[in-house]
Amino acid sequence: MRKFVLNYLIPRIGQYFLVIFLGVTLTFIIPRLSPSDPVERQVSQLMMSGSHVSPEAIIAMREALTEMYGLSGSLWEQYLAFWGRLLKGDLGPSLSSFPTPVTQLLATAMPWTFGLLMTSIIISWIVGNILGALASYYEKNVAIQIVDVVSQAVRPIPYYIMALVLLAVFAYWIPIFPFSGAYPPGTRVEFSLSFILTVIRHSLLPLFSLVLIGIGGWFIGMKSLTSNIISEDYVVYAENAGLPKNRILSQYIIRNAMLPQITGLALQIGLIFSGALIMEVVFGYPGMGTLTFQAVMANDYTLIMGITLLSIVGVATIVLILDFIYPLFDPRVRIQ
Amino acid sequence: MPLLQIEDLRAYYRTEVYGISRSVRAVDGVSMELYNNEIYGIAGESSCGKTTLIKVISGTLKPPLRVESGRVHYDFGAFEVDMLTIDPEELRQTVRWKEISYVMQGSMSVLNPVRKIIRTFEDIVRTHQGIPNKKLFLEQTQEHVRRLGLPPDVLNLYPHQLSGGMRQRVAIALATVFHPSLIIADEPTTALDVVVQRGVLQMLKDIQAESQNTVLLVTHDLAVHANVADRVGIMYAGRIVEEAPTQIIFNAPRHPYTEHLIRSLPTIGDKSVKASLGGAPPNLANPPSGCRFHPRCPLAMDRCRTETPEMITLSHHHRVACHLVTEAEA
Repeated sequence: MRKFVLNYLIPRIGQYFLVIFLGVTLTFIIPRLSPSDPVERQVSQLMMSGSHVSPEAIIAMREALTEMYGLSGSLWEQYLAFWGRLLKGDLGPSLSSFPTPVTQLLATAMPWTFGLLMTSIIISWIVGNILGALASYYEKNVAIQIVDVVSQAVRPIPYYIMALVLLAVFAYWIPIFPFSGAYPPGTRVEFSLSFILTVIRHSLLPLFSLVLIGIGGWFIGMKSLTSNIISEDYVVYAENAGLPKNRILSQYIIRNAMLPQITGLALQIGLIFSGALIMEVVFGYPGMGTLTFQAVMANDYTLIMGITLLSIVGVATIVLILDFIYPLFDPRVRIQ
Repeated sequence: MPLLQIEDLRAYYRTEVYGISRSVRAVDGVSMELYNNEIYGIAGESSCGKTTLIKVISGTLKPPLRVESGRVHYDFGAFEVDMLTIDPEELRQTVRWKEISYVMQGSMSVLNPVRKIIRTFEDIVRTHQGIPNKKLFLEQTQEHVRRLGLPPDVLNLYPHQLSGGMRQRVAIALATVFHPSLIIADEPTTALDVVVQRGVLQMLKDIQAESQNTVLLVTHDLAVHANVADRVGIMYAGRIVEEAPTQIIFNAPRHPYTEHLIRSLPTIGDKSVKASLGGAPPNLANPPSGCRFHPRCPLAMDRCRTETPEMITLSHHHRVACHLVTEAEA
């Protein structure tokens, strides 16, 4: 156990902090390589609006903005100040929705994205993997063959086309689902049963579109993994020993075939933090994807930096958690 | 009554790709008998049909392998089974592991890598007998493993924590939990070094001596047969060409192929250069006419090219299929 902590857990934690350190440093450097100066842009925008501002006021404003954006002092001083503010949880104000702090924008968008994507990923992971394993173990079953054909057909459809078709069919021709948003405009966000039901009704169509695409991917992956495992000696041996089929499927085939799928699941969960851009734009969903889209369109680089940092920390954290729990599934990692 | 009677068994791999059908006659006319309380060894070069024969005998054949004709009949004392006609579910419930267990080739990798050894024992015992009392099951399994000379701790380990020899022994321990009438071991010592080989073979011998059952041992390694088997059958190109008690096979082989195999074995102090047998085993998709060994046989006659030799029984249960051995001798 001690050896496991020293040789496995400690290096993983070290790796985690290294990745975050490099990520933060890159997030700091990249915008500073850009030729446009956000302070000058802000000032010139103000001047173009035609209002008369005295030169002293402009100088004062420049200093204030430089200070606020963390652009005062040498690059090294800026870097240290950047870390200092980051550790206090301060990502600066958003440029496009000045002076709302970036952290507040992230905190508003994140729960929407997290709730919807997490649900869709978990549903599609479980369903896709079970179907995939069944598909390759019971090749000759007709119901399974139909599922196979459907997922092969759905898989190559580009997501945005599928999403638009679903919208057209289920929100326009057969208007059973709302067109867009996570709740009707003007509704107060609160914890009441009626509000929660509205949110669920709004999220069903985007959820369905994500699950449909997701299942296809997991299904195909699991099917090919399983078809390799089926000819492994330990599966043939279990069959020769006369074990019941469901036992072989669950304990011999799925237990082994799902190992790479667990890694895949963790990476997908990590990607939640940057949102599902196309889904959120098509369905007008107020999550991280929409926020990213707006930030890019408005050149809001403090917000872009904030989203980037959140993604880096998110992916790294999920990978760390995966490293911690993976030994539960694969003893070969646990005991070396 | 013999435990197992095989009569003129033919099993072919039939494949059809783009309308071209092909059949590989891996087992082509094998007749043999296995008796209670013996170790029978099957020897022969790679791809002579040893494993195919085993698959049919153990009832584990899968397409494209199909039995064309013949009879595989078991007499377990309490009941009889015809392996080629038995219902698969009945086979699973009454025969597998209780009467016949099969230690596959490459049994280093027959253990599920993500589960402890004890779990596999549990699966097998639960399937064929049920586990009403978990504690009792654990004790009995530990006792079984200990009797086979394995430390009971192995039960709580994962396969990757065991050496190759250990894994092979665990595979044999798994195959013998119910003391089956027939244990089939396919190349159990291949890929093990000689010291470990000895341990594994001794284990098989001990199990056989204790339960007085039958062991069918398949290996290309004649030295193993010389040490372990009571009777040996030599296979060539899908047929048994010679069969005799071990002593006779090694001291007075009659088939030129057997003679060659035995002459190629090294003996202590012998410094002569070993003559190798030219050519390669025939392609079983298109085997030679007559005696299948004739293209490689130094003693081949005209008759060998056209006429398939019949199996002739000589004295001391010595059977051989070669035109050089005539009925008169029998």
